[in-house]
Amino acid sequence: MIRFEGAAKRHPDGTVAVRGLDLEVPAGRTTVLVGPSGCGKTTILRMVNRMVEPTAGRVLLDGTDVAELPAAGLRRGIGYVIQQAGLFPHRRVIDNVATVPRLLGWDRKRARARAAELLELVGLPPETARRYPAQLSGGQQQRVGVARALAADPPVLLMDEPFSAVDPLVRAGLQEELLRLQAELGKTVLFVTHDIEEAVRLGDRVVVLREHGEIAQLADPHTLLTAPADAGVAAFLGRDRGLRGLGLRPAGSVPVAALDGRIAYEGWQLVLDPDGRPEHWLRGAERHPAPVFVPSRDSLRSALDAALLAPSGHAVAVDAEGRAVGTASRAAVVEALAATGPVGAPLPEQVPHAGR
Amino acid sequence: MNWLGWLHDFFADPAHRSGPDSIVHRLLEHLAFSAEALGLSALVALPLGLLIGYSGRGLFLVTAVAGVARALPTLGLVTLAVLLAGVGDTAVLLPLTALAAPPMLVAAAEGVRGTDPDVRDAARGIGLTHPQTLLRVCVPAAAPTLLAGVRTASVQVIATATVAAYVGLGGLGRYVIDGLATRDYPTTVGGALLVVLLAVGVQLLFALLIRLAAPPGTRPGPRTRARRTGGAAPLTPTDPANPPALVKDAP
Amino acid sequence: MLDGEPLVRWHWLGDHLGYLADLTADHAVIALVPVLLALLLAVPLGLACARFPRLYQPLAAVFNVVYALPSLAVFVVLIPYTGLATRQTVMVPLTCYALAVLLPTAVDGLRAVPEPVRQAATAMGYGPWRRLAAVELPASVPYLIGGLRVAAVSSISLAAVGALVGRGGLGYLFVDGFQRTFPTPILAGIVLVALLALATDLLLVAARRVLAPWERGAAR
Repeated sequence: MIRFEGAAKRHPDGTVAVRGLDLEVPAGRTTVLVGPSGCGKTTILRMVNRMVEPTAGRVLLDGTDVAELPAAGLRRGIGYVIQQAGLFPHRRVIDNVATVPRLLGWDRKRARARAAELLELVGLPPETARRYPAQLSGGQQQRVGVARALAADPPVLLMDEPFSAVDPLVRAGLQEELLRLQAELGKTVLFVTHDIEEAVRLGDRVVVLREHGEIAQLADPHTLLTAPADAGVAAFLGRDRGLRGLGLRPAGSVPVAALDGRIAYEGWQLVLDPDGRPEHWLRGAERHPAPVFVPSRDSLRSALDAALLAPSGHAVAVDAEGRAVGTASRAAVVEALAATGPVGAPLPEQVPHAGR
Repeated sequence: MNWLGWLHDFFADPAHRSGPDSIVHRLLEHLAFSAEALGLSALVALPLGLLIGYSGRGLFLVTAVAGVARALPTLGLVTLAVLLAGVGDTAVLLPLTALAAPPMLVAAAEGVRGTDPDVRDAARGIGLTHPQTLLRVCVPAAAPTLLAGVRTASVQVIATATVAAYVGLGGLGRYVIDGLATRDYPTTVGGALLVVLLAVGVQLLFALLIRLAAPPGTRPGPRTRARRTGGAAPLTPTDPANPPALVKDAP
Repeated sequence: MLDGEPLVRWHWLGDHLGYLADLTADHAVIALVPVLLALLLAVPLGLACARFPRLYQPLAAVFNVVYALPSLAVFVVLIPYTGLATRQTVMVPLTCYALAVLLPTAVDGLRAVPEPVRQAATAMGYGPWRRLAAVELPASVPYLIGGLRVAAVSSISLAAVGALVGRGGLGYLFVDGFQRTFPTPILAGIVLVALLALATDLLLVAARRVLAPWERGAAR
């Protein structure tokens, strides 16, 4: 667990980066610091591994003030991923990943074996190992960066806008990968981003920051979207919060009509492949794709989306293997929505133009 | 090893005070000859370099010429020139002029090429012709780099002119060569000292000129890219990983 | 001027192959040992400058001035200390010239490591010196070799001037040819100096390919 106790950073020229932060970062969860540029989020992150020394207050790592730990040793025990990956250009990918184990005194063979494991873990093909960083794409470099940070199996991972420099499609893939990794590894992750979408997607807890590292709101993503603490946070969250909030609600509550022989609505007939996976909706010679959702995994938002897109007005529910198990009409999805209560909670004050 | 004694002997020698072997006369000879070689060389190298830099064509040729020129021994060229063309200043002028050209050629080409393409576009956009863009936009912006090239060339010429005393050229090199021939150490050392002072003086002059030529606000601070705009080592490559050397290191 | 003397007497070259080889070897030692010495000095000096940036400005200024000093004048001034016609008289100044080229390239190379890379190294637990040695120094190899190419080629051509103070390797051919009004050795000297420079340059290019393999990858 990481604990900030009145941690502050004032630069020598008198400007205040962080006024005094009290925050607990629980172990084994992902905590996201999000805020506009200049809010001090990177400074806060870097206090943990002493890349920035607080000018007042302290930062505790599992109860020990980090200022009392030797900087190099402390850092070897904390993974750190940054926006530009920061890979060593002169070392092969495998040796980049093996850096911290080597620093910790592992022999080359063992460090490389570990590095190879990690490359596989972050989804890079084995032939990447022999390449140099300049030969990789931006997304691949970021994966190597994550692998390198995880190499010595540190309990804590600091991530400073790690996915900001890659294009949106790659970013989505990397986010997915991080969620998968985190489910598997359960690290204490402190993640910095300026992208609220990313914060809501990745965080177990989201800390919205104002200037000087002041906490505007600390909440789980759902609460944040549905009940912003004030107009400022609401404005930062942007439009369509209600709809985006649906993305955080499970689709399990949607009533699914069981498949029953031949499925047809308004002339549209659902065509399945031999394994029972939906192929398309068919009416006469007209074909349309059949949007699907997985009730056990996807969100209400996905279910609604699938229902809206289906020409028949029915989303197809599928199991984890993609086999159709039933259908859900638009009305059924809305019914499930209504059952979960209002998406938004009352605001403490009026928000006339949220998102502008 | 009595430096003060030697220098006293050198400066007190009446022959070094007036007449053809006087310090002033030798210094003027050295300056005049160097200026002549430099001027002739600049007349050819600078316009050519500007054109190459502006058009972007023939840049490889420029770096190749600079690399080859650096590899050629000055003493060899000077002695060969005199053997082929006869004793006399004209024979020596040729290799000196040729050796001064490459640094200026490179500086002119790189200086113009280094000007902001957006600024060049803007100049063309507001209706300047190509010659106007080159002379009114690129040349002023490249002035510090150009001057740095002229400075490098001047260092080269002053040094080679000293060496050329061996084949009969006048100037401060005479003291060094004549002193060596007659084992007259005071004369040799005195001459060498004057050559050093001259080189340092010219360097300082150019450092000043380069500072003045840099547009206000772009003057290199103590730690910002001083080398590009001429604050430092003359012959160090502008792209250190790809120096204008003999072999082009690219597939 | 040549009074019927041909530009090149081929049989003279044939008769003096061993002699020319000896001079070339001597020239290589006089010109290149100083470059190696300068490299040995430039790396620690460069590291110190990268670690303590205030050191660099005055050092660079000094070497700037040194670089501009005409070689013959410097050779001559050293004679009382190192003697006439000794290798040291020529090699000491050549070391300084090479250092004047290598120090800025070494510092540039060490500084060329991108800031994120530096930060990542620090965050992984490298101390300042260890980071310089493990990250910045290897990454600066292409720069150092670029500097070596310039320094070596310059040194090879400058060393010939040493002939005027009695020790110039191939430069002796110029003095000899001039005194005898005999152009063959002069031409041979020019060609051999240029060839030596070319060979050295090629060697350094090859060294760069071996020592900095990541650069080839980057080009693709």
